[in-house]
Amino acid sequence: MKTLEVSGLTKRYESFLLDSVSFSLEPGYIMGFIGRNGAGKTTTMKAMLNLIHKDGGEVTVNGKSFTGNETACKKEIGFVMGEFDCYKKSSLRRITQVTKRFYEDWEEKAYRGYLERFSLDENKKISELSAGMRVKYALALALSHNAKLLILDEPTSGLDPVSRDDLLDVFRSVIEDGTRSILFSTHIISDLEKCADFITYIKDGKILASTDVEDFRHGYLLCSGERSQLEEKKPWLIGAKAHAFGFTGLCRAGDAARFTDCKTAPADLESIMIYTEQEGIHEESAL
Amino acid sequence: MKNLLYKEFRLCMAVQIPIFFLFVLMMLIPSYPYLVAGFFICNSIFYSFTQAAVDNDVLFTTLLPVSKAQVVASKLRFMLVIELLSLLFFLPMIFVNHAVHGTPNAAGLDASLTLLGALLLVYAVFNAVFLPRFYKAPHKLGRHFLLSTICVFAFIFLFEGFMIICGAAKDALPLFGWVEETLDCFPQSSSIWIRQGIFFAVCAAVYLLGAVLTKKRAQRNFEQVDL
Repeated sequence: MKTLEVSGLTKRYESFLLDSVSFSLEPGYIMGFIGRNGAGKTTTMKAMLNLIHKDGGEVTVNGKSFTGNETACKKEIGFVMGEFDCYKKSSLRRITQVTKRFYEDWEEKAYRGYLERFSLDENKKISELSAGMRVKYALALALSHNAKLLILDEPTSGLDPVSRDDLLDVFRSVIEDGTRSILFSTHIISDLEKCADFITYIKDGKILASTDVEDFRHGYLLCSGERSQLEEKKPWLIGAKAHAFGFTGLCRAGDAARFTDCKTAPADLESIMIYTEQEGIHEESAL
Repeated sequence: MKNLLYKEFRLCMAVQIPIFFLFVLMMLIPSYPYLVAGFFICNSIFYSFTQAAVDNDVLFTTLLPVSKAQVVASKLRFMLVIELLSLLFFLPMIFVNHAVHGTPNAAGLDASLTLLGALLLVYAVFNAVFLPRFYKAPHKLGRHFLLSTICVFAFIFLFEGFMIICGAAKDALPLFGWVEETLDCFPQSSSIWIRQGIFFAVCAAVYLLGAVLTKKRAQRNFEQVDL
């Protein structure tokens, strides 16, 4: 049974359309959700959780349709939307006392463990925590009720590199038993390279790809060549930057035969995203 | 639901609410429209909504394992608890007012069971105007409060006005005289207690029915809101 299945999720705004978003996630895996600002990542996550009124589509969590089983589904989900930005004048202890009453599967021992691991003092108020510590507190809450699915919207954005690395270790350990999964959106692509098994890429409200990270990466090649070759290669380039000495760009691995006279290299996630978003040939400006 | 109510009291209730309860002491003022004191209880509820808005309470609560309908229902219950609790403070003030002043209130309803019933109607008006609008556009909190304040004062003006008209026209219309003598007075006899008790029960029924309708309308609005 899939931990998460999203099919045909649609939301219409005047100036934006979340267009029939579909993807799924098996238990025991981490899925990175990437896309530019405004591509529809947060809208997708909010529509999944019924925070915004969707115009179509269905979300199932562990086989249960979210519509009609909202409470049961939410119990199986831990959600973190950036830093914890609620009840700023309340202490962590007070907020936790309230929150844990909603979860029968609350794991006090795990919660205490995360408090210690993240160096969180329960007596402090939210307003006394740094942005990074607020993210950690939100994660401690989300990780402590035995959620089968963690949905994290940019959880690592406010963290320093050491904390980020520690958090990625936490993510790996969370899914270790093969029963839990994580869907997380981020702009820090290097975090995904470290821990994501699958990737879902959204652009202008549409899913461009939802696949295994390695398959996704192997589907593209970075290529570079002489400036004189640019015109000839242009039809097969997804995106490229032209500069005084030539060009560097991205092409599909299936078109590799067209680039035998150029230098090619495996593509990394960040390059795939940058060239896909920029599209066409861009002149690199010189100072 | 009890967990949500617990959350309301632990995380959302404005610290000013106990202070606002002191406004029941307005019943010690001679010749004053005591229904106005009920508005201050509504005001204390608004303070809680303001604090909750600053604290992103709607988003936090909606992310808990509860439905949007339950979020609305718990908020309404919180309002009802505060409002009904206030009646417990108003009730002894009826007797204190009578002991202190002993003369009819020249500026509005006398301290009586009728006053308590009318207070429930004031709360019903506030709830009906404020809550559904809040769950339609949570960010326009001030506007909703302004509108509900206008409606509450319009109701107070009409209710008190009707009682004044009854007093002024009691000789012309016996019904008006009966209304004034039965409802707008401190009950001195058991028959007046019973009649005012019936009026209070009718107001309580209107208040509860209003709460049910308010909840349904607010829930319907909240389902359509994008957070």
